[in-house]
Amino acid sequence: MLEISNLIKRYGRDEPVLKGLDLTVEGNSVVSIVGASGAGKSTMLRCINRLVEPTSGSIKLNGIELVTLRRAELRRARRKIGMVFQGFNLIDRLTVMENVLAGRLGYVNLFQAVTRRYPAADIERAFVLMERVGIAHYANKRADELSGGERQRVGVVRALMQEPEVLLADEPTASLDPRTSEQIMVLLQSLASELSLPVLINIHNVAQARTYTDRIVGLRHGTMIFDGAPSDFDKEALEAIYGGIEAPEDEAAPAAEEVRDGQP
Amino acid sequence: MASPDREERAAPRTWRKPPFIANPLLRYGLLVVLAAYLVWAFGSLPFNWERISEGLPRAARIFGGGFPPTLSRFDLLLTGFTESLQIAILATLLGVLLSVPFAVMAARNVAPLPIYLLGRAVIIVSRSFHPVIVAILFVAAVGFGPLAGILTLTLYSIGFVGKLLAEEIEEIDWGQVEAMRSTGAGYLATLFYAVFPQILPRQVGLSMYQLDSNLRASAVVGIVGAGGIGSTLMNAFGRYDYDFAFAILLVIIAVILASEGVSGWVRKKIW
Repeated sequence: MLEISNLIKRYGRDEPVLKGLDLTVEGNSVVSIVGASGAGKSTMLRCINRLVEPTSGSIKLNGIELVTLRRAELRRARRKIGMVFQGFNLIDRLTVMENVLAGRLGYVNLFQAVTRRYPAADIERAFVLMERVGIAHYANKRADELSGGERQRVGVVRALMQEPEVLLADEPTASLDPRTSEQIMVLLQSLASELSLPVLINIHNVAQARTYTDRIVGLRHGTMIFDGAPSDFDKEALEAIYGGIEAPEDEAAPAAEEVRDGQP
Repeated sequence: MASPDREERAAPRTWRKPPFIANPLLRYGLLVVLAAYLVWAFGSLPFNWERISEGLPRAARIFGGGFPPTLSRFDLLLTGFTESLQIAILATLLGVLLSVPFAVMAARNVAPLPIYLLGRAVIIVSRSFHPVIVAILFVAAVGFGPLAGILTLTLYSIGFVGKLLAEEIEEIDWGQVEAMRSTGAGYLATLFYAVFPQILPRQVGLSMYQLDSNLRASAVVGIVGAGGIGSTLMNAFGRYDYDFAFAILLVIIAVILASEGVSGWVRKKIW
């Protein structure tokens, strides 16, 4: 169970990007988070695995407080939080298998990681998951030789290799064509129920959010203004979330910059 | 199609490239200052025309003595070159390996500020002196011979490769780093997975270039006593063996041409 309460994120002295967010996600539900660019969707997701440092508030994953964790503890906690990215973020020059096994980096030691001597169980799990999403025959191909949809499958499998307790997907279909993006949404939906895994998906495509998720959360200017079933997400809600927002790019740009500034 | 502009204006419109320096006063002022400097510099430098005219026949004698070049002491040449090659390869290997940690230290996006400053400092220091000056220092410290050459060129390689590699690290795709971090990977594992694969082609290219450059430099640092073909060349000049010295020069040119060809080919293949 993921419990976010009163989450605030402020970059420098600017107006907060997240203004006291509360959200609880239980069981294997698939939650989509919608909102205009700059509404704070990506920041919220990144606060959960601390790619972005929350300013204040609490985020608990199965009872463990994530906001206050330090170094080694944080790394241990991150193993339980899988993340899928809009740009896939695969290691282009490595093979598909290496990318998939990278999901185990939080578990293996540096020698195993550098020499690619992963435990047999990890390799078996990698093959099983790759077969599940239909990319097993690409195991020894370089990741940048795959198509967009295939690359995102690698991204999903890498996240699942972590044996996560929650899966975060930051606009996982935004770089894909409509058909492929539907396939990825179906995949995320069915994986959630197969692995009984809660999934949080940032998404721009409201139609897909309605079709493939159990619950829609709407953000606007860092505040939650909608939380309910897809059937309740009507024109009014849509207007409230996206209406009258001008030049969203201007708001998104500084946030994206800040995200890149972090230390490893 | 007749444009309305053409009907209104009889004269054809003209265009000239705007001047590089917009202010005309500054533009012509700079030219005047440059001319004045050249006049002053040539006027005040101590060119001793008498000595130059005396030197010309000496130069002719040296060049005359150099022809035809002779490979009579081929074994000496071979020993010198083998040593130069050993110095260059060893220094390149050491330099390229050591440049990686220094490059990581000197990349702002993966190193905390104190480490970054230290890394930058190392790179700046190793880049601030020409290899010949460094070689003089090392010859004084460890004595004549190839060890001084190896140390010199290793330092030189660290500076050059480290700087360019650090810049490459600063420009990597950060998303891959985020992805590795989000799996719970530690700092070093993140470096090995998200950073090194991205800079690998650049690293290979730089290594090839550095080998090329070290081969060249190993001839130069030999002149101040750091071993290799440079030392052989200096000895030949010292003994007035101009024909042998010229043979050495020709072979150096040939070897450098060859290595440039090979390194260019390898870089193109791997890029």
